[in-house]
Amino acid sequence: MFDLRSIVAGVRALFRKRQVEREMDEELRGYLEAAAKEKIRSGMSQEEALRSVRVDMGSMDAVKEEIRSVGWESTLETIWRDLRFGFRVLRRSPGFTAVAALTLALGVGGTAVVFSMLDAVLLRPLPYPHSERLFRLFPLEGKRKRGVEQASYADFRDWQWQSRTFESLAAYQGSSMNLTGTAEPERLEGSTITPGFFATLGVGPVLGREFRSDDTESVAIVSYALWQRRFGGDAGIIGKPIDLEGREYTVVGVLPPQVRFRSMPWAAPVSEIFVPVVPVPARNWHSVRVVGRLAAGVSKEQALAEMNGIAARLAQAYPDSERAQGVTFEPLAQYVVSGADQTVWLLLGAVAFVLLIACANVANLLLSQGAAREREMAIRTAVGASRGRILRQLLTESLLLAGSGGAIGAALAYWAIPLVVRIAPPFSSLFSRLEDAHLRLNWTVLVFSALLSVLSSVLFGVLPAWKATRPAQSSLAASRVGRTRGGLIALEVALSLVLLVGAGLMMKSLVRLLDIDVGFRTEHLLTMDVAANSSTPEKQAAFFDHVLQRLAATPAVISAAAVTDLPLTRYFKRDGFQIPGPHPVQGTANYNTVSPDYFRAMGIPLLNGRGLQISDSAKSPLVGVINRSMASKYWPNENPVGKTIEAIDVVAVPAPEGFRMQIKPRLLEIVGIVADARQYALEEPPDPELFIPYDQWPAQEMRLVLRVAAEPSSLIPRVEKEIWRVDPDQPVTDIKTMDEWVAREAAGRRFILLLIGAFASIAAALAAVGIYGVASYGMRQRTHEIGVRMALGARGQQVVWLILRQNLTWLVIGMVAGLASAIALTRLLASYLYSVRPTDPATFALIMLVELAIAGLASFIPARRATKVDPMVALRYE
Amino acid sequence: MKSSELVQGTLDMLILKTLALEPLHGYGIALRIEQISKGVFRVNPGSLFPAFRRLERAGWIKPEWRPTENNRRAKFYQLTNLGRKQLKAETEAWERQLTAITRIMRAPAIGNL
Repeated sequence: MFDLRSIVAGVRALFRKRQVEREMDEELRGYLEAAAKEKIRSGMSQEEALRSVRVDMGSMDAVKEEIRSVGWESTLETIWRDLRFGFRVLRRSPGFTAVAALTLALGVGGTAVVFSMLDAVLLRPLPYPHSERLFRLFPLEGKRKRGVEQASYADFRDWQWQSRTFESLAAYQGSSMNLTGTAEPERLEGSTITPGFFATLGVGPVLGREFRSDDTESVAIVSYALWQRRFGGDAGIIGKPIDLEGREYTVVGVLPPQVRFRSMPWAAPVSEIFVPVVPVPARNWHSVRVVGRLAAGVSKEQALAEMNGIAARLAQAYPDSERAQGVTFEPLAQYVVSGADQTVWLLLGAVAFVLLIACANVANLLLSQGAAREREMAIRTAVGASRGRILRQLLTESLLLAGSGGAIGAALAYWAIPLVVRIAPPFSSLFSRLEDAHLRLNWTVLVFSALLSVLSSVLFGVLPAWKATRPAQSSLAASRVGRTRGGLIALEVALSLVLLVGAGLMMKSLVRLLDIDVGFRTEHLLTMDVAANSSTPEKQAAFFDHVLQRLAATPAVISAAAVTDLPLTRYFKRDGFQIPGPHPVQGTANYNTVSPDYFRAMGIPLLNGRGLQISDSAKSPLVGVINRSMASKYWPNENPVGKTIEAIDVVAVPAPEGFRMQIKPRLLEIVGIVADARQYALEEPPDPELFIPYDQWPAQEMRLVLRVAAEPSSLIPRVEKEIWRVDPDQPVTDIKTMDEWVAREAAGRRFILLLIGAFASIAAALAAVGIYGVASYGMRQRTHEIGVRMALGARGQQVVWLILRQNLTWLVIGMVAGLASAIALTRLLASYLYSVRPTDPATFALIMLVELAIAGLASFIPARRATKVDPMVALRYE
Repeated sequence: MKSSELVQGTLDMLILKTLALEPLHGYGIALRIEQISKGVFRVNPGSLFPAFRRLERAGWIKPEWRPTENNRRAKFYQLTNLGRKQLKAETEAWERQLTAITRIMRAPAIGNL
């Protein structure tokens, strides 16, 4: 029926409506006249003939309506009429409309925000062709055959040579590099990669080429962003030299802009510079991450079988040094999301509750409206509107409401999405995905919001509309409506209770987390990352000596120190040591290289013996300071001060193919014990830790720690200037106060708390509005009864109780249902909680009280108003 | 003479058939159907005019305003080429059905199987 002719005729009927109608009138009139004339001719009087013709024809309007309804355009017109009417109805009660639209806007807007996160985290494919064939490979290690991140370079080469199921395999490792020589020195985030790395991912450079197996070690590939930023998009960059880590490299390629590779998706910024992996042939030295592209048509299971066969053969061939006992895979797309999906689903669940509450609220509002419009519906039914017609009209109104709510919601999302990106915890795969997706309001989200609005309009609109078409004449029907409204309230109470409990648990976790005694004073500490350009250990130590001396002499700096593994930076190096003796004891400890002033700068108290001194130099006997945990674990009943241990030093020795790692035992004397301080992360209790002086164990990259007497960030320019006086080419990166590091530790939980807290607050507010609405409606309905009771001497208290009692049952049902759901659902939060059980009774009790207070207040206010009713007015009411 | 309801779906065909002779206006068509069927079929304007619009939309008939004998103008409908083809197709289909129905109705009773 939708052929061109019909469309043209329909459009004409719509736009030249007056003419079409006129012609129809004329045609029908002509028919009547002709028919009457015919009757007159057969002997009727004119009057009789006209009457007879009219009787034959029936209602003229009905005929016209029949004719109109032939075309598709009439459906359009009916909808338009419904819309106009609906718009008038909504405008007639602006208060109701505003509350309903805003309620929906909060539900739809919130859901759109979370959905946009879901879209960025889970729905966007990786920017590589056929990315479903890309996998990360992990060697399986230890008794429990755990998959570990890194493989040995030797294993990687063997896998690469022997595998047939993988089209190609490549390895990479994260690596930061100092870029010097051109403008201001800069520390760049980068990766070392094997030849064919980008071919494995399936992307080619926009300029130049990627690494080949016959390349020297001194070639580099730059990211598009770096090329634009540092080299002004110079098309002649290929073949030009750049200085990295004090060495000259030749640029051979520039990557396309869509490649945003991160060596660790949950922690590392986007790599901007790529240099070849330096091979380490030792089988027990795990130094690379492996990625592979499955050959077309090969299943994951086939590849797994083949790779495990290869691993088994390698384990047999090198029984002494091979650590890998098998191989496991994870799709690259899943690897880059790692954990963020859980967060996103959790938030989506939370916001779905808000949306449901919003829908329940609007349904409740519409039900009270429906009751007020009973008369209107009765009249419309009486003049012949069918039930379907009324239903359609009411659904149109809901749709109109949903449309305006959805539009406001989308505007809300437009404003809130950048906000969410800003508060997203940095150094998380969630943040990486949001950043890589350039998250903002997009078409996917808009379409989703529109669908959501329509869906919710059906959800909240159908029920009241259905009720409205069945006039509640009997008290039975009235009580049915009452039950529906009560059920909706109970639902709102239950859902908001679950969200409030979730927010309460997160809040308690965060408070507990920030309450942790880290073991040092975090305030007034400025920290920064400095990787020396000098290549020999002696020069590195001299460089840091020099820098620390200058900084210590800077005004407002109380003490300056250097450390390789700063607490709470989520990087710690763990190694074995041995306590020599007739029965040697093996132990493990975090090795932390520090400058002598480290403990003073941090405020870590010395418990026993002495601290490290400047006199502990490269030429004096090796010494170390241990923390209390190490002392009590390995020397439970003696004083470790004065004992000697055999520590392990790993040195890279040049080998035919790259480097060989050599383990060198070194004896050192424990000279002191310090108090415990947090290490890897805020929530992890301290492990045994061994502090060794940096003159004896030089490091290339250290973090400087300055205890200052001023606002720490105000000192940054002066500190940088002092460092550049020692080496003008020295990049200074990651300048942060210690408090910022602490905040970063809490950022993930704070993010979830902020979102769930926001959702819970909205939910509680909406539920309060819903309860208030039902209570005041109940009061209005019973004004007459209240008047009678008060006239007969009922006291205010009794009247209040009368109104309160109505809601009470439903509130209690809601609380109980909410409690049960919360007990069942807070388990999903468990991995985000810190030192709080998901069913923490104190939190549950407190939140129940809060919910009760909110619900009680929302019912009490209208009930209170009931007592102000003047009996005379009330009796005259109606 | 008792008038009777039209067989479902035949009105369109009857209108097309009526117009096959000459263009007619609405009342003319109704009158012609009534006369030819000897008053058996009386077409109600409530179904006649919607049918016109339906056929017009389908492109089978074409309206044209023409003066009538008493100097008023009336909407005359005229069969289009497409309508002629449609009439032929419908006539054939109708005849096939009629033959089949007639055959069934005249078959000897064979009892209840």
